[in-house]
Amino acid sequence: MTEFVQALVLSLLVGGIYALVASGLTLIFGVMRVINIAHGAFLILGAFITYTVWDQLGLDPLVGVVITTPIVFALGWLIYRLLVRPIRHAPMSSTVLLTFGLALVTEGVMGLVWGNESTSIRPSYVDQSFHLGQVFLPKAQVYGGLLAVVVLGCLWLILTKTWLGRAIRAAAANPASAELVGIKVTSVAALVFGLGLAAAGAGGGITGVLYPFVPGSHYLWIARLLAIVVLGGLGSLEGAVLSALVFGVAETMTAVYISPAWATAVPYAIVFVVLLFRPQGLLGTRLRDDAVTA
Amino acid sequence: MSHVSIRHGWTAVALVGVMSLGLAACGNSSSDGSSSDGGGDITIGASLPLTGDFSEPGSAAKQGYEVWQSLVNAQGGLLGKQVKLTIKDDASNQNTIVTDYNALISQDKVDLLLGTFSSLLNLPASSVAEKNRMLYVEPAGGSPDMFNRGYKYIFFAQQATADKQGLVFADWVKNLPADQRPKTAAYPTLDDPFAAPNVEGIRAVLEQAGIKTVYKTTYAIDTKNFDSIVAAMKSADPDLVVHGATFEDGVGLTRAMLKSGWTPKMFYETSTPSFADQYVKAVGANNTEGVMYAVSYSPDASTPGNKEFVAEYTKMFGQAIPPEDAADAYAAAEVMQAAVEAVGSIDDQQKLADWLRANSVDTILGKLSWDDTGAPQSQFLIGQWQKGTAEVVLPPEVATAKPEVGWHPGS
Repeated sequence: MTEFVQALVLSLLVGGIYALVASGLTLIFGVMRVINIAHGAFLILGAFITYTVWDQLGLDPLVGVVITTPIVFALGWLIYRLLVRPIRHAPMSSTVLLTFGLALVTEGVMGLVWGNESTSIRPSYVDQSFHLGQVFLPKAQVYGGLLAVVVLGCLWLILTKTWLGRAIRAAAANPASAELVGIKVTSVAALVFGLGLAAAGAGGGITGVLYPFVPGSHYLWIARLLAIVVLGGLGSLEGAVLSALVFGVAETMTAVYISPAWATAVPYAIVFVVLLFRPQGLLGTRLRDDAVTA
Repeated sequence: MSHVSIRHGWTAVALVGVMSLGLAACGNSSSDGSSSDGGGDITIGASLPLTGDFSEPGSAAKQGYEVWQSLVNAQGGLLGKQVKLTIKDDASNQNTIVTDYNALISQDKVDLLLGTFSSLLNLPASSVAEKNRMLYVEPAGGSPDMFNRGYKYIFFAQQATADKQGLVFADWVKNLPADQRPKTAAYPTLDDPFAAPNVEGIRAVLEQAGIKTVYKTTYAIDTKNFDSIVAAMKSADPDLVVHGATFEDGVGLTRAMLKSGWTPKMFYETSTPSFADQYVKAVGANNTEGVMYAVSYSPDASTPGNKEFVAEYTKMFGQAIPPEDAADAYAAAEVMQAAVEAVGSIDDQQKLADWLRANSVDTILGKLSWDDTGAPQSQFLIGQWQKGTAEVVLPPEVATAKPEVGWHPGS
């Protein structure tokens, strides 16, 4: 029983962090129908900026996220204006190519600025745990998980309780009508792209404390993140959160009860099986296009 | 111009701009920035993982090759000609590396090749070299699978293949006094052609010596969460953990053990602890005490040319201690250089390969020799972190310190 509780707690902590990072990816798709292949690269960029803030200013890396996140947001806003906006309405394959190119450029720039050596962020509590009876809760994962919940909560409040959130949802549901009621869809899209990347940046700050990273680490992240948002339902924030938790639990339980060799494969098998029965994902909505082609 | 065509024009500009920047970021590099087709020079080509998963050893290997180029050119070059390097970036990708080595041979028309990093990448790259009958000295790639293909042009420029790299450690453990010898052991390993045989080689010796295996598992390369593996090891409570790792997974497992509050009495890990400063920064200096690992190179070794290598490396890159991967790359170039100078020509590279099979070469790693398959025939070194310093502790004849029993994290 202790083993199960331990595995469950650890997997939920990991899932919470996956949820934060995946939320940005699904948000960008939901509003813009852009699959941002560069999302993992901006997660690693967030980790590197957090490293610099921790190393140079001595700030706790999880506190440093308040500096990292606005920087990545600003970058996202700028990238949307300069690169994504001109091809926003091009076929999806073009935006995939563009964001893939963006991922390569970001990786190259990170290599030039920070080098290709493995980088680690080690605050004082990184090897410490809280102990509840037989169960241990790694402090970095607990703090990181809590921070992910706070950032996700802020994102949810923005989307549901503010004018900006209503504008974002209106732009996602019907851009033409949104324009008619005075919403500048282009400006909203730039903000969404910035918000989406900012979530990746915040996630990068947290994952940077948990795992060492190099500029090329983004390849490992993007496959996992795409699987999470597809499982949750492309464009569904709630779906991404649920799916991320499923992913975290599936990875850890597989490692504990089957074999670590299968830990990264089983979640993808779950994605495959779910999509067989629910092509729109766990909480996704079937679009008219889907119904026509079904 | 219609709205549609303007939009498509922007699309093309944005796509071409970003993709070309991307290609530039991951493109080729000539070590001196000049063209690689100079008529009076010898051009040597390699493709290294300068970006992607293996960017860390790839970047260090590039440094090693460049230090060798600098020193050999300062001494008059190779066969009286200046050496130029053409180094491509394979982005740690097995498909890209095949394209790169084909391009080096057919488009860049390099005179000689040098190998890349990791068994995963050297496996396909060496096939290209073999097909083109070009000598292929690799600085890494110790998987036994590299040498059971009947190839004639491949040579591994380290002391031993992966399955034999931990044998010196295993023999030492086996011969410890009964009160210090571990009774049980755990063997987690990355699913990797280098790490897994390394661990298996040790396990075979220790099981034969009566040290009971209480846990054994293999995990995939994209594993990030090691808490579940550590929880299982904690239940089994082995005296010794032998971990087959590269780098990030080595750090992950170490951190997971520390977080869980459980650590074994002895800890051996492949590769990760040999990354000097990066290892210390990743796991914390106070957690390194007593960790053992196999290593090919010691900056303090009195091997021929080592002082010159360390001095030139420090001059070029500003670090006092060259990483092991840079030293391995330098040694690979030394091996190739010895064969070229002994044969006196590069026209028939089978002669270079035949010469290496029949002779040994003094390198900064020590004297290297090979069997018919190109597998090396020497003993690996065993390192141990002692009081914040990476010491060579085995074999005794080259040791800089005596081996100590036990891992003492937090000390």
